Amino acid sequence: MYTTGPVVVMELPEKLQHAEGKAFLVELRPLLEVDRPRIVLDCSQMENIDSAGIEILLHCMEEAMKRDGDLKLAALSPASAAILELMRVDRLFEVFATAEEAAQSFHALGLEEPQGLPWYSAPHGLANLKAAS
Amino acid sequence: MGLGAILVVGAEREIFSSAAPQTDLKALLAQPLACVDILGRSVLESMIERFVRANVEAVTVLVAAEHSCGVEPLRGTYEHVSVRVVDDLFSALSEQLSDYSRRSIEHSFVVSASVYTETDLLDLFYFHREARQVATRGLDRDGPLDLWVVDCAQAQQGDVEGLLAQAEKAGATYFIREYVNRLLQPQDLRRLVSDALSGRCAMRPCGREVKPGIWIDTGAEIDRGARIVAPAYIGRGSKIQEDTLITRFSNIERDCCVDCGTVIEDSSILANTHVGIWLEVRHALANGNMFLSLEHEVVIEISDPGVMRSTRPVQQGTKDGWSWNRKAREPQTVADPKPKPSPAPEWQLGADLIQG
Repeated sequence: MYTTGPVVVMELPEKLQHAEGKAFLVELRPLLEVDRPRIVLDCSQMENIDSAGIEILLHCMEEAMKRDGDLKLAALSPASAAILELMRVDRLFEVFATAEEAAQSFHALGLEEPQGLPWYSAPHGLANLKAAS
Repeated sequence: MGLGAILVVGAEREIFSSAAPQTDLKALLAQPLACVDILGRSVLESMIERFVRANVEAVTVLVAAEHSCGVEPLRGTYEHVSVRVVDDLFSALSEQLSDYSRRSIEHSFVVSASVYTETDLLDLFYFHREARQVATRGLDRDGPLDLWVVDCAQAQQGDVEGLLAQAEKAGATYFIREYVNRLLQPQDLRRLVSDALSGRCAMRPCGREVKPGIWIDTGAEIDRGARIVAPAYIGRGSKIQEDTLITRFSNIERDCCVDCGTVIEDSSILANTHVGIWLEVRHALANGNMFLSLEHEVVIEISDPGVMRSTRPVQQGTKDGWSWNRKAREPQTVADPKPKPSPAPEWQLGADLIQG
């Protein structure tokens, strides 16, 4: 695991099934329980994912969104991409070719620093961004 | 003047280069594409029927031993068709041509079962006879096809493989303008399905066209809440559950089940496949628990039987599938993949569910 500014990039294990997923979730949970978690899951090592693994991804995304954050996927293999599509969850995630691109996408949205503002203040955040640029 | 035909299944030597299946296809299927049901009938069966209709005196199917399970359903189906499972296809081909010659069959077609063509076979034969060549090879705009007419008597005197190879070099070729599909890659299967469903070739789905472009085969059950958008094909004994959507040139072959809420779009679900609930199968082929995404060009073995599985009596996973295939030479281990259709209702359908 490594961080690029406020964005956390985490590598998914080779297998993301029930047992591995549970262990992964234990590791990821503290990172999800912060304000506006911004997480990139690097899937480059992931070779095997099943429905339990997908459920875990959805759970993580839900947790991140609850706290006004987001979870993005990077470096999906063709097999993982096909599985996500088959399970109808591909459109729920933003997917990037590399973890760096995914991390930068958070900055592009002007979410460098957690503002501590309620979720409905997002337009103000965007306005600030426009003003800054 | 006698005329015979030899269909070769599973040849992968140089001369039948186009018959060599692609790697992803091998991972998906335990048998050649020619033996796989497409719109209710295999290409091999379609080709046999074409030869029978052309009044060819004797038709022989030569099958490489490792693909014998694919032709088991053919045994005893046709009166003048014999099926031989052989270890060496080329020596068997040579023997068969000699046998034809002894039976006063002077000319024979030699064709890879993977080649689906709608050319006028008799016209090809007359062309060969007038050209007075030992062998004439068919070709289309994409190049030579694994389709020849040969002189049986002359073929038995020399090396058959060399003879077939020489045909093209000697300029003894017959240009085919009609529909051809080489069935080498999964994309070819999809192309054949869409061409047949849209009338771009003469192949017609089995069963009945219940609405323009929607073909339903005997014993298929379609829930009232399912939606089928033309063109599409639902095979014999298949079940389409509630809230499913079958659309854009999709074919669900025999004895499949598409479970609730699933979308099948521009895809082929091969025989005996159960597709689980709430999935989206797009631009893909599914065979048992093997899933080939044409978009991502990847074959995936689905280990979760709730998502996708085979409905064959003998489970056919990747490993099991291959071992089942190898063992299939022993007749007792072969599960008949084509049970005789029961005199059951033609198909069951709720009202107002098909959108033509």
